[in-house]
Amino acid sequence: MSLPKRRRHVAAAVLALGSLLLAACSAGGGDVTPTAGGSASTPAEINLFLIPSPSATALEKLAPEFTAKTGIKVNFTETEYGTAHQKALLSIQSKQGAFDVVQFDNTFLAPFANAGALAPLDDYVKNSADYDFNDFSPALQQYGVFGGKDYGLVLSTEPFLLWYRPSILKKAGQNVPTTWDEYKAVSAAISASGTPGQVMGYGPNTDWWWMQLVWSFGGKLYDDNLKAQVNTPEAVAATQYYKDVLASAPKGALGLNGDDVTNQFISTNIGQMIQYSGYASLIYDPKTSSYTNDIAAAPVPAGPTNAVELAGWNIGIPSDAPNKDAGWKFLEFALGKANAGKMLDLGAAAIGRKSVTQDPAMQAKYPYLKLLGLDTPGLQVYTYPHLVVWPEFDKACADALAGIVSGQVPVQQGLDDLNTKLDTILAKEPRS
Amino acid sequence: MTSDVVGEAPSGASPLRSAMTPSSSGTRRPRSSRLGAFTVPAWLLVIPLALVPLVMGVWLSLRDQTLGSPLPTNFVGLDNYRTDVWSPTFGQALFVTGMILVIGLAIQIPLGLLLAVLLERGIRGSRFLRSSLITPMLLTPVAVGLMWRFMFNSELGVINWGLSLLGIPGVDWLGTSPAAIFAVVIVDSWQAIPFVMLMILAGLSALPASPREAASVDGATAWQTFRSITLPMLMPVLLVTVMIRLIDGFKLFDVVFILTRGGPGTATQTVSMLDYNTAFTFLASSRAAAIGTVLAILTLPVYWLWVRASRGVE
Repeated sequence: MSLPKRRRHVAAAVLALGSLLLAACSAGGGDVTPTAGGSASTPAEINLFLIPSPSATALEKLAPEFTAKTGIKVNFTETEYGTAHQKALLSIQSKQGAFDVVQFDNTFLAPFANAGALAPLDDYVKNSADYDFNDFSPALQQYGVFGGKDYGLVLSTEPFLLWYRPSILKKAGQNVPTTWDEYKAVSAAISASGTPGQVMGYGPNTDWWWMQLVWSFGGKLYDDNLKAQVNTPEAVAATQYYKDVLASAPKGALGLNGDDVTNQFISTNIGQMIQYSGYASLIYDPKTSSYTNDIAAAPVPAGPTNAVELAGWNIGIPSDAPNKDAGWKFLEFALGKANAGKMLDLGAAAIGRKSVTQDPAMQAKYPYLKLLGLDTPGLQVYTYPHLVVWPEFDKACADALAGIVSGQVPVQQGLDDLNTKLDTILAKEPRS
Repeated sequence: MTSDVVGEAPSGASPLRSAMTPSSSGTRRPRSSRLGAFTVPAWLLVIPLALVPLVMGVWLSLRDQTLGSPLPTNFVGLDNYRTDVWSPTFGQALFVTGMILVIGLAIQIPLGLLLAVLLERGIRGSRFLRSSLITPMLLTPVAVGLMWRFMFNSELGVINWGLSLLGIPGVDWLGTSPAAIFAVVIVDSWQAIPFVMLMILAGLSALPASPREAASVDGATAWQTFRSITLPMLMPVLLVTVMIRLIDGFKLFDVVFILTRGGPGTATQTVSMLDYNTAFTFLASSRAAAIGTVLAILTLPVYWLWVRASRGVE
């Protein structure tokens, strides 16, 4: 090979390598670089990190309308619940700017916000007439707030509800229960006829149901000084109750996770179910439910305290998002007042806007909506604790309750042990 | 000489002589270093992909990093080992791992051996059986876990339905602790038995026929031949198989994750599952690194036994 020829080859190789490097660099930041049709202020596309759920599906269905209106293409990445939060957090902490919007469970609000993974939304929310923050009840206005700042919009409002089969209650000669004592009695009466009287989650997420009972029975998980309070008489009574009504649950209830509970209720004969309202689309969908015309909803029964556990998705903007304004534009469009009803029609769990839940036309279409008001006088709305150590707290409760409910450990002893363990975990919580 | 490549000195050669080779310039250079040069490409892969993460994992285990904190990390010495390894939770996870391993091996080795012997005898349809029996091994553990999860469902599952046909009451497979452990063992064994069978089948095919033929001529029964000749000759292969299964068992995660998530409670929480929970549920990276480091150390004796057993196979 002659020297000039060799030089040309070397030059070509250098050029090729350079092109590859440039391509690699632009691929790394491809999510942030506006392409044709975009500008610095209006990107050509935004990237959403979603967790598979009816609400996520509805957002995807609504996206083409947003694109038609703004010219911004919306890309989606879905990651299953079990690993979604860790992946999102890792992505944000590596500051790759991979996502402009991120969906997360309210239980992860504190870990995310504490890690600096979310951008505060207060300015966006305050200045948006389309979003109309006042359309939410006070409880929901606080749903995404951590440390005084709003980090997450309400993507879904999912309080616990009592779901029941009218035909089964009627056959057993029972009325819809309004208190936990009545719930137990109705469950026992139905079970006596050979049909499981009720179902709650007794499996991996057992503490979600247990917390509802603790709050209903007047207990709490920890005090203002972050000292665990799960072995108080109220918590013991709640736990004993939780264990007692297991007798009316279907066989295998000890292994049921949140989704299993609903699947069991909509595919077999069970009198009652305590479940989040977010499952409504599954419950009333003839493709998934065998009893769409024989399922009704009522407020969760009351105990000494009229309490309801509120769960649901949050959605926010990552702190490393390259297109925060465009991300907000999408959120404002999809979750704003104008499209809240449409989201519901697309199968999403209700966002919880008063303009929708109190709309007679919507209530006629979705009767359970009237139960989502959360402004009933005397009703205390509890959310999952906003703790940075919540994931570990949650797991410790679920692990301990498995032994207690199955009868391997006596209630008082199990709760005493749990209380000690929770104190250790709560000691790791950052104090502000 | 071929034996040079595998580092075996020719019989009668002194160790020093066999380790030295004349270079082209006439000076003597250790042959081991010349041979070592051939392993450089492998080391170039192993160092960044295995050794660096390993060292970083140990380093991480001595700090207090969590994913949920933006603060700089601090050196905490052996604190993570004290809180997360020297703990009842870790002890229980180790016990569960051991139990799944022991029960699993007690099922997998005899069944794998039985199937291999049957196939080696060339029973009718053995080709078809050989192909169909390895199917579970080809499936992804997640798909397997999901499939068995449906089958284990107390109310709707086919297993309890089958039991009911035999007049046996249904079992709450995934909701009670002894049953859940057994469920994990069943699924793990269902996937592992074909591997054990293939390993033993390969071992059986490699055995010389003459000792068994001689035994047969001497009037030994089939059982006597198998017990006194085939099984002892097969022992190194069995040992290697057991070692591989032990190493796999220490890593057992995906089936447990899909089937029980370590529950009910912590009844099926293996060490790998505990490590996952600590890292990705509690977001406690350093504590998880401590558990991972100890898990790696725990597998070292198994690796040593595996190397010894492999020499026997050679």
